Amino acid sequence: MTVLATALSDFLHAAVEPQVQVDAIGIGAIYALMAVGIGLVFGVLRLVNFAYGQLVMAGAFALAYASDQDWPVWLGIVLCFVVVITLTLAMERVVFRPLRGKPAATMLVATFAVAFLLQAVALLIDQTDDTLGEPAASLAKLNVPWTILGTDVRKITVVAIVTAAVCLAGLVLILSRTTVGLHMRAAAMDFETARLLGVRADRVIGSAVLLSGILAATVAVMLTVQQPLVTSTFALRETIVVLAGVVLGGMNRLFSATLGGFAIGYASGLLGGALPTAQSQYLPSILFGLVIVILLVRPGGLFTRGPGPVERV
Amino acid sequence: MSSSTLVVSDLVVRYGAVPAVHGISFEVAPGEIVGLIGPNGAGKSSTLNAITGLVGPFSGSVRLGERDLTGRAPEVVARSGIALVPEGRRIFGELTVDENLRLGLAGRRTQRGVAEDLERVLELFPVVAESRARSAGVLSGGQQQQLAIARALVAAPEVLLLDEPSLGLSPAITDTVFDALATIRDSGLAVLLVEQRAQRTVAIADRTLVLANGELRLTLTPDDAGDTERMIHAYLS
Amino acid sequence: MLTIVAPITLVAATAVVGTFFERSTEIYFINALIAVAIVVALYVFVGSTGVLSFGHISFVAVGAWTAGVLSVPVAEKPATMPFLFDFLAETTVGNVWSLVLAALAGGVFALLAGLPLMRLSGLTAGIATFAVLEITNNVLRYYEKVGPGLNVFSSVPETTDLQQAAIGAIAAIVVAFAYQVSRFGRQLRAARDDAPAARAVGISVYRQRLGAFTLSGALAGLAGGLYVHYLPISVDAVYLDLTFITLAMLVIGGMTSLWGAVVGALAVSGLDSLLAEAENGAAGIDLPSGSRIVVVGALMAVVLIVRPSGLTGGRELNLGRLLRGSPGRRGAA
Repeated sequence: MTVLATALSDFLHAAVEPQVQVDAIGIGAIYALMAVGIGLVFGVLRLVNFAYGQLVMAGAFALAYASDQDWPVWLGIVLCFVVVITLTLAMERVVFRPLRGKPAATMLVATFAVAFLLQAVALLIDQTDDTLGEPAASLAKLNVPWTILGTDVRKITVVAIVTAAVCLAGLVLILSRTTVGLHMRAAAMDFETARLLGVRADRVIGSAVLLSGILAATVAVMLTVQQPLVTSTFALRETIVVLAGVVLGGMNRLFSATLGGFAIGYASGLLGGALPTAQSQYLPSILFGLVIVILLVRPGGLFTRGPGPVERV
Repeated sequence: MSSSTLVVSDLVVRYGAVPAVHGISFEVAPGEIVGLIGPNGAGKSSTLNAITGLVGPFSGSVRLGERDLTGRAPEVVARSGIALVPEGRRIFGELTVDENLRLGLAGRRTQRGVAEDLERVLELFPVVAESRARSAGVLSGGQQQQLAIARALVAAPEVLLLDEPSLGLSPAITDTVFDALATIRDSGLAVLLVEQRAQRTVAIADRTLVLANGELRLTLTPDDAGDTERMIHAYLS
Repeated sequence: MLTIVAPITLVAATAVVGTFFERSTEIYFINALIAVAIVVALYVFVGSTGVLSFGHISFVAVGAWTAGVLSVPVAEKPATMPFLFDFLAETTVGNVWSLVLAALAGGVFALLAGLPLMRLSGLTAGIATFAVLEITNNVLRYYEKVGPGLNVFSSVPETTDLQQAAIGAIAAIVVAFAYQVSRFGRQLRAARDDAPAARAVGISVYRQRLGAFTLSGALAGLAGGLYVHYLPISVDAVYLDLTFITLAMLVIGGMTSLWGAVVGALAVSGLDSLLAEAENGAAGIDLPSGSRIVVVGALMAVVLIVRPSGLTGGRELNLGRLLRGSPGRRGAA
């Protein structure tokens, strides 16, 4: 018992360190953005896009390519956005649209297939062109720390937190102030009635998908700064954790899904930063153990009231 | 504004092999209310669903003036000038009253004259005007019904479809709603009123079609409103 | 009767055809038969409940670890797995026993995991089973007291030949069929299609699901045992890729029929093998290495979009329908 108590006390002491807190919030911010990207599409399509991580991965490949070609940073970021957004819209057109209204299991497995496919394509590119899979070095200067009051704050952590805050604020404005935002909210609540009122399904879905693509590109930039080594499994782990976070928070509300994404990112940052090295290799077990416990206690979502998600998988 | 007649011809609706509507035809002209009554399962909802595009008709056609709307998507039908007040009102309870009205604008063909139309609609339903900033979910059933009609009207439609608007309303509120319908008709809209309350419908409608087992059985006029025997017969035959 | 005869015949035919090839080609057939065993295990749960499980490969992994650790000769354990628990380090069992214990371990693990998890449904259940996979993978990867950790399983006797793989696959099919026609299987299917009605007539969905989960975990464990006796696998072989490919096989075949599970497993495996050969320059086509998974992934996406209820439409084989050539009822519109 005392061993456990000591371990817990050590963990708590480490966890309140400003260093750990700042890093955890930085991870939470990025995960929250991914959660919004997944949640937006789920809202209008009732489709869990497992391939979201591969969109981020494609963006990272674009950045690595730009870096390899010695392009200026801004051009690399432009390329990243162009690639990710094009791919997102193509995915909607080629895969999501024909699957609209199909059983949830089919849709989910189809996005699995797309994820698998994109990963395979990335692997193929990686093999044939050995310049890829190399570090996207040009972004590395964002990774250096500032020391503020004895805490090392990497520039990217600040950038991540500010970017996430700006993106989320922008999204709230779009959803609450614009007509297409209103249409998206209505479609997420009751798509059929929205259509009966004249809300155009293709436009609403297209807008949600576009926004999710923009967010994926943003995430790609920030993750590539932190993990410059770009491989075909880039962002895969993050996607799995974010998906768990989104369901944990409550999938049927964008707000609760976002909060779930932030919470799981924050928790994983905290565990990663505060656990002693010997135990930190079991971080996934602890994290997903927590996920199971929370799902059992709050199957409808941690941050929601009322019943759980409406779809059946 | 140009007004067109809603023309439904030889409409057949099937769900798989199960027939719901067997080739019915009727028209709703500008400035008239046409009632559509019948027992449960008579095919009233199927008819409406086929007009609004929720189900594709097996055969037959739906036209508004010159425009063929047969089998078009719901949003296309809505944006062509046919507005629906759905059964059960289908108000977005988590949005404000104002946002619900703004959703109704999605069906407009032109964005000109929004302010004037909105003003006219709110004049017709003062209850809605008073609670624009409130969450629509907290409104009473009668208020929600009026909001649903207002939401349909801000789309400036040529045809207004109502699916059982009196369902669950007190007689007093039903009066308010039906009075509004008369005003709407007088403004030149074509109104198709699907109802369970036969007597009220026959009294207000210019013509009332009686639907049973997917077929049109007979047409009643306002004079028949007092003739209960004929109505009961119409239902049971 | 065709429901059971047809899948068994197909599996047996696959095995017999496989014997005509050399070892280098034969492995594709063994691979396909192991895939059948895994997909049929998955089908026992997914097909009868309609709930997607992402956790089944953890039962395969546990089965593989059980059979693997227990089969390595005692003398070789210190070299390959130096940190094992004493009782594991000192024990070695024969082939059959290792498979039986693999099935047992898979079943017990599924039962323990299912006790809390089967209360969940829908997406929540999906994510929870995924969490089980993550935890299992994480523990097997680093906990070297129960296995080789990050290393591959070397020195496991390679006893899974065509014959044994075929027997294993057929055993899985027979168990799945017996379950499907049993009272429990029928009740669970009724509950899948109409949960409130099933509850109304006194069927405990929770207990039925738990039963199916346990049985399917045991079959997955058996498949894991076959797998580890076939190849020196590592923890990555029983993780995301296998989860995805087996789920895809099930959905592509048609997840509501035993026939669909078997057809899906064999069709995808067969395609994969052909492409692998093409990558090696055989069959007259020369594909760049790695393009195999691109083609398989693309084809899966196409099948799912064009025929979401699977190749078989999720129905059992029906000779009458086949002979009449009628297309039958297409999947839910």
